[in-house]
Amino acid sequence: MKRIVKWVALVVVVLAIAGFTGFLYVVPPLTSTDPREFINLEASMAPAVDGIADPAVRALAERGRYVLLTTDCTGCHVTPGPQGPLPNMYLAGGRRFTTNMHGAVVARNLTPDRETGLGQRSDEDIKRVLRSGVYPDGRPIPHSAMPWAQFSNWSDEDLHAVVVYLRHIRPIRHEIPPPAPGVAETLVPGAIEIVEGINAGKQ
Amino acid sequence: MPPVPSGLRWMAFCVVGLLPAAVAVGLAQSGAAAPPTDIQRLYDTSCGSCHGTDGRGHGPAADALNPKPRDFTRGTYKFRSTASGSLPTDDDLYRSIENGLPGTSMLGFKGILSEAQMRALVVYVKRFSPRFATEQPSPVPAARPVSTSPDSIDKGRAAYESLACGACHGEAGTGADAVAGGLQDDWGNEVYAPHLTEPWTFRGGRTAADVYLRLKTGINGTPMPSFADTAKDDDLWHVANYVVSLARKPVWEMTADEIRAHYSSQAKREAENPVERGRSLVNTMACGHCHTPADREGRALPGLNFAGGMRMRLQVWGDVVTPNLTSDNETGLGRYADEDIKRALTRGIKRDGSRMLPLPMGWPAYAHLTPQDQDAIVAYLRTLPPVKNQIPPPARLGFFAYLGAKFQMLIGGRDYPIIVFAGNAGSAGNPSGSAAAAQR
Repeated sequence: MKRIVKWVALVVVVLAIAGFTGFLYVVPPLTSTDPREFINLEASMAPAVDGIADPAVRALAERGRYVLLTTDCTGCHVTPGPQGPLPNMYLAGGRRFTTNMHGAVVARNLTPDRETGLGQRSDEDIKRVLRSGVYPDGRPIPHSAMPWAQFSNWSDEDLHAVVVYLRHIRPIRHEIPPPAPGVAETLVPGAIEIVEGINAGKQ
Repeated sequence: MPPVPSGLRWMAFCVVGLLPAAVAVGLAQSGAAAPPTDIQRLYDTSCGSCHGTDGRGHGPAADALNPKPRDFTRGTYKFRSTASGSLPTDDDLYRSIENGLPGTSMLGFKGILSEAQMRALVVYVKRFSPRFATEQPSPVPAARPVSTSPDSIDKGRAAYESLACGACHGEAGTGADAVAGGLQDDWGNEVYAPHLTEPWTFRGGRTAADVYLRLKTGINGTPMPSFADTAKDDDLWHVANYVVSLARKPVWEMTADEIRAHYSSQAKREAENPVERGRSLVNTMACGHCHTPADREGRALPGLNFAGGMRMRLQVWGDVVTPNLTSDNETGLGRYADEDIKRALTRGIKRDGSRMLPLPMGWPAYAHLTPQDQDAIVAYLRTLPPVKNQIPPPARLGFFAYLGAKFQMLIGGRDYPIIVFAGNAGSAGNPSGSAAAAQR
């Protein structure tokens, strides 16, 4: 009697493991596969500019929104979740990059939150990051993680429009840890960087 | 030099921040040529990522920059108070470091570095070129300024025409009717005559005195000549006053109606010149960030611009290699129809009908490009010189790696990580000289 229970239990466990493995192998990694869903998500995350009272600022922010949206800033500056970015965390950052030369850097919070975002940064500070890859205190930003060298090709006017739009998105409290310099020991041989799927920020 | 993480360099620099200052003052006074490592560290941290630690203007970030960072070893400097072809004075160099060059990635270090540190950098930068050891640059004699007036501006307009400024800068400085392309600097980079209606982009400054100096001393290394021998000082001042008078309003000073009118006329101009618009989009959208293979410092491999070949491991799906975007007929986009390119760019659907992930290729974002901008991107990609670089097909992960990655994603609730590899995985291989760098 005891023996049968043992055998049945073993069979059940083996079947469960095999079933789970099979399920894991077969189930698609993304629950959504419709391109339109990704495209609509991208646009719906970026808030519209209708609420801006000053018409000149609104017109500039509209341009800034177009530049920001089509440059795929959300490719890095959105908070990673289980199935891609968290839609309610537009530009709140948190994705961690382990780089070969510059240790770990985390995508910053670009929302106007005063403590954890860009709220206390001047326009010039933000433009200097996008043009020259330099933080307000002079620290350089690794261009292999943040392609500021490419964004430096924005005209001054587009750069300004981007900053105007960033001032008008929803502030989100999301604390981003400072960069951790150092040579990454965990890096796979031959790699430039690992774009990690985890959120290193704290809400 | 061994690879030292830049953050550490920075911290070390802060700790010994006073030292280079003291050394700099000493250097400036004694003219000694001792190379204190603190100044070197200051240079490597503040200047190295663009100008390169060897001063050759080819730091890791240099490839994507327009204009390109100065190559200090040639001793050719653009913005000077000295005669055409001469070296700049220390004060000229100091000014560029302190105020930066507007419209470029060269930032002003005022407020970031101390005066002594900036002076120290002037000394350090000069050491890259042997010219400074033998030549003694001095400023051109100061001419009596002509203050602006309707009369001076009128004379300036006449001189602008007689000196044929419009050949490059266009009628009334707008770039219209100018030789649009084909200008090159001494380093072989394509350069553009600036729109004189946008003085906020004037690298050397936007005052009449600044413009006068450019006319008087030229911009070394570029097609912009000096007019010191071809025009009288007063006429150069008139032209300077005229150029300053051409300024249009920047968007940040416009009303809502003016902004809309500005963008619609800009779109009209872009429609007439889609390749230029496409170039600007492809550069700013950072297509080359992934579609140009890089070494381990993230420096683009030479000769492989937009030729693809960067290998990425998407933990779950396997290894993919970025496609070749050049116009090559066999391995690049030459064999693609316009519609194929646009479908990949904006819908994430490859030519064989298979689908892309929403990352790393940002097609869900690029889907929001206007049709005109999509056409412009295609038009520009068609002009990329062909590079033969056959890209290998995607490779799946092994059974257990696949299961492990999927477990992390579906049960662990993580987004999929991406490992970006150095070197070119395409058939063109790693260009000689860079292979070692790629594996370092």
